[in-house]
Amino acid sequence: MKNKQKTMPVLEINNLNVEYKTLTDRIVAVKDISLKVGRKEALGIIGESGCGKSTLTYAIVDYLPKNGSRSGEVIFMGENLLEKSPKEMESYRGNRIAMVYQNPYSSLNPSLTIGFQLEEVTMFHQKFSRSKAREAAIETLTDLYMGDAAGIIERYPHQISGGMQQRVCIAMALLCKPDLMILDEPTTALDVTTEAVILDIIGELKEKYNMSLIYISHDIGVVNKVADRIAVMYRGEVVETSSQEAIFNDPLHPYTRALISCMPRAGVVKETVRLNTIPGYVTRRSAAETGCPFVPRCDKKRPGCEDRYGFTERKSGHFTACDRAYAEDVPERPVQIKKKEVKLPDNGPAPEHRTILQLDKIYRYFGPPGKRIRAVDGVDLTLDRNSVLGVVGESGCGKSTIGNTVGGLLRPTSGKIIFDGTDISVSWRKRSPETLREIQLIFQNPGRSLNPSFTLEAIIGRPMKKLLGINSGEERKKRIVDILKKVDLGEEYLYRRPRQLSGGEMQRAAVARAFSISPNLLICDEPTSALDASVQASVLNLLVDLQKESGASYIFISHDLNVINYLSDMIMVMYLGRICEYGEKHEVVGSPCHPYTEALLSAVPDVDPSIKKEAIRLEGSPPDPTIKIKGCPFAGRCHRKVGTVCDTTPPPKVDFSETHFSYCHIKPAKIEKKVMQAGEVMRTQEI
Amino acid sequence: MDFLERFLKRLGFMVLTMVAMSMLIFFLVEIMPGDVAQTILGQAATEESVAALRESMGLDDPIHVRYLRWAGGFVQGDLGQSIYMRGVEISSIFWRRVGHSMLLAFTAFIFYVPVSILMGILAGVKAGKTADSVISFVGLATMALPEFVSGIILITIFSVYLEIFPIASLIPIGQTIWGNLNILVLPALSITIVMFGYVSRMQRSSMIGVMSSDYIRAATLKGMPRRYVIFRHALKNALLPTITIIGMNMGWLFGGLIVVETLFGFPGLGSLTLSAIKTRDIPLIEACVLFITFIFVFSTFITDMAYAFLNPKIRFKQGEV
Repeated sequence: MKNKQKTMPVLEINNLNVEYKTLTDRIVAVKDISLKVGRKEALGIIGESGCGKSTLTYAIVDYLPKNGSRSGEVIFMGENLLEKSPKEMESYRGNRIAMVYQNPYSSLNPSLTIGFQLEEVTMFHQKFSRSKAREAAIETLTDLYMGDAAGIIERYPHQISGGMQQRVCIAMALLCKPDLMILDEPTTALDVTTEAVILDIIGELKEKYNMSLIYISHDIGVVNKVADRIAVMYRGEVVETSSQEAIFNDPLHPYTRALISCMPRAGVVKETVRLNTIPGYVTRRSAAETGCPFVPRCDKKRPGCEDRYGFTERKSGHFTACDRAYAEDVPERPVQIKKKEVKLPDNGPAPEHRTILQLDKIYRYFGPPGKRIRAVDGVDLTLDRNSVLGVVGESGCGKSTIGNTVGGLLRPTSGKIIFDGTDISVSWRKRSPETLREIQLIFQNPGRSLNPSFTLEAIIGRPMKKLLGINSGEERKKRIVDILKKVDLGEEYLYRRPRQLSGGEMQRAAVARAFSISPNLLICDEPTSALDASVQASVLNLLVDLQKESGASYIFISHDLNVINYLSDMIMVMYLGRICEYGEKHEVVGSPCHPYTEALLSAVPDVDPSIKKEAIRLEGSPPDPTIKIKGCPFAGRCHRKVGTVCDTTPPPKVDFSETHFSYCHIKPAKIEKKVMQAGEVMRTQEI
Repeated sequence: MDFLERFLKRLGFMVLTMVAMSMLIFFLVEIMPGDVAQTILGQAATEESVAALRESMGLDDPIHVRYLRWAGGFVQGDLGQSIYMRGVEISSIFWRRVGHSMLLAFTAFIFYVPVSILMGILAGVKAGKTADSVISFVGLATMALPEFVSGIILITIFSVYLEIFPIASLIPIGQTIWGNLNILVLPALSITIVMFGYVSRMQRSSMIGVMSSDYIRAATLKGMPRRYVIFRHALKNALLPTITIIGMNMGWLFGGLIVVETLFGFPGLGSLTLSAIKTRDIPLIEACVLFITFIFVFSTFITDMAYAFLNPKIRFKQGEV
């Protein structure tokens, strides 16, 4: 019996199907999935949104909407969960199978204390008394490196930081020492340095608690950090499962290969590599559809792919439905990936070294005096023509405020913005039409930034009329069609409204609107953060192309260092409203000179599993932005703190080259010596 | 700390609102056509006697002096004298009427609040099922039914056919309301019919919103039984919007029941206001309107505080660890 326990997988899914009935059709959300998760094994599931990853987990714990139905087998510790009654399932949920979700803040009840929410788990499942349950809660929290666990459980969720909230959620899942823990994008809503800490904690769990993990994410890099084995899902099916190394280095399924090659990653920069894209987008799958789910978007398809399908072991431990990832009998598309990537010719006109934008001691405060939030706290900056400035930093660092201030949506509290020789530190109402035309913005969520009741013709045509003065409808329409074609949307999109477009198409339309009046400066505020990897790649490519063609400058704001690294010429790292480090891309990424940059770089999860680096654990969270900081804003969390000078004196500006500087107390000579490990990795991986 | 600050701020606003409203009421009545002295003495009075009365009532004083005198009297509990019932101190009848109204409001409150909330919860949890359809239909139907229609139906059933409750809510001379509590039932029921739709629909929709939230999913997948999830996890959050609606209607319940009180002949503040307006009894109108204003402002204040108290996000200042 004991032996059997050891060899028996904790979870075995056999031919699981999940269908949703809608008024007109039957939608297949999960199709014919078979998976095994062994004791102490961590299975990572990756895929784009809408591929059925979450549905799969909800099918395991019987939490489907009323119109959903399951068939197949879910064998958990020898018992088929599909045969359990709802009442019986209650004793599995949270007890033997525990879950952690994407957004810790909304997963905790805002009106109950953290203690209450933790205690009830053991009180129900283990029949603990309240005091014993409280002890267990404190113990588990302490296990997850929460300093003041006894104090935390008295608090309400809104009183602790996002990273702490996610630890509470993980603790909640651990309380009953489950056999299986399902984590559904647990770090997606967190900042990258917080993510690194949480991933570290998750990594230790399976050994410490002798349990199995299913880890779901859209980000291969994140999955790499915790998973032993990876399953790739596409439109409800598992198309490939194997080890991390095999998935990255030797993907067999065309989808896996395409997905990996469209992700911006270490060493992939616009100068040398063009990101791969997958045409189209993920669509819903009707029950009538047969064959390979990837056929509509596959460039390796051949006759018969629509009917034939078989998921088998191609190599040892490597299961896939198709092994045509590198098939040679079909011509490769012109866009190449990985080592075959086309070098882009470096033929653009040498950039005139003239400044287009200059920020002079920009401050922007919010809120009443006394409770002032210093969103931007003294930023100096120059931006050259025809260059892309990547602004990176964690949430609340003021990067969006900078973008909005330059864009005229906010007025700086003090300081000067010089654009092309004119002072534009006023709100957009007072800017000249010429300036308004020259500076354009693109936002994160195109669904919300495009007016839903206008057609694309109206959305793109309006700035043409207002700012370019093109009054002839004919002329405008011609130009709109031109620009739509440039962003790969045809003439047929002219009279569509935003809701008739997919997320990627909407963002293309937003790009078209911005470029329709030939701006000189484009502010992109997280333009690809809401998009799936394959769609993100096409928007990034588009932005690169348009920038080359138009010679416009970009301020590209993102929390994603891989994206910034891909697209930028210059990088600015911000923390708490101030600049930490600024320089050319290869300088900042290759030899970071500020501890915060170093920590950020070390925390970025890598798509390539062969990159092994130690994430620097930053303790705590950024300080309260309403308190005026005398010294360096990063001092409280810095792993290379020099001494009290960091707390008392503002860090001096240290120049490393004509373009590269940082604000730090560490002596420049010392920084040179410790050329930082994370930078090393980014550099050596350049292709 | 944050809670106290909020309390004091709202209290300040409440006082400010009352001052502004009292001015508005006073000056509105002031610019109304007609002369008080003339009204009292009738069209046949001589000019001298009118002038003498004006003099004795202080009507010739500058407007701000008269406002301060009026408002000052109010603060001290002196509501002035009625014009219609010559020489009768308003306070002698006013507070009794207020007491009746409060009792009616209280009765209506304990009738409709538990029923509407419970039905709203049931409808929300069973959204889309038969129970929800029935409750939602009843709510919609009663919302559409004016008080005078539902009141007449109630009278027909309970007074005419069943003869359980009196037709009119009159208190026999020499008795107090405490010996005649049965007169409260029909007016309270007709208020319940009006309020049921509003409150249950609000409770239903907030319950649906909360039940589809991430933390309810988390609680369910923690293995908590459904009933426990509904009452322990969902209810406290789902009650907040309902409390606002109930609080907003408290003012109406205390002072705005003109239709209901008239229909049943209930001796409350609403019917007093109506008769004051009918008889152009200006000091009485002012007293009634000002008091109703006060009830509105005060119930808003209480609602706001209750909301703040029940919502930990307001009760405890945001402080990160």
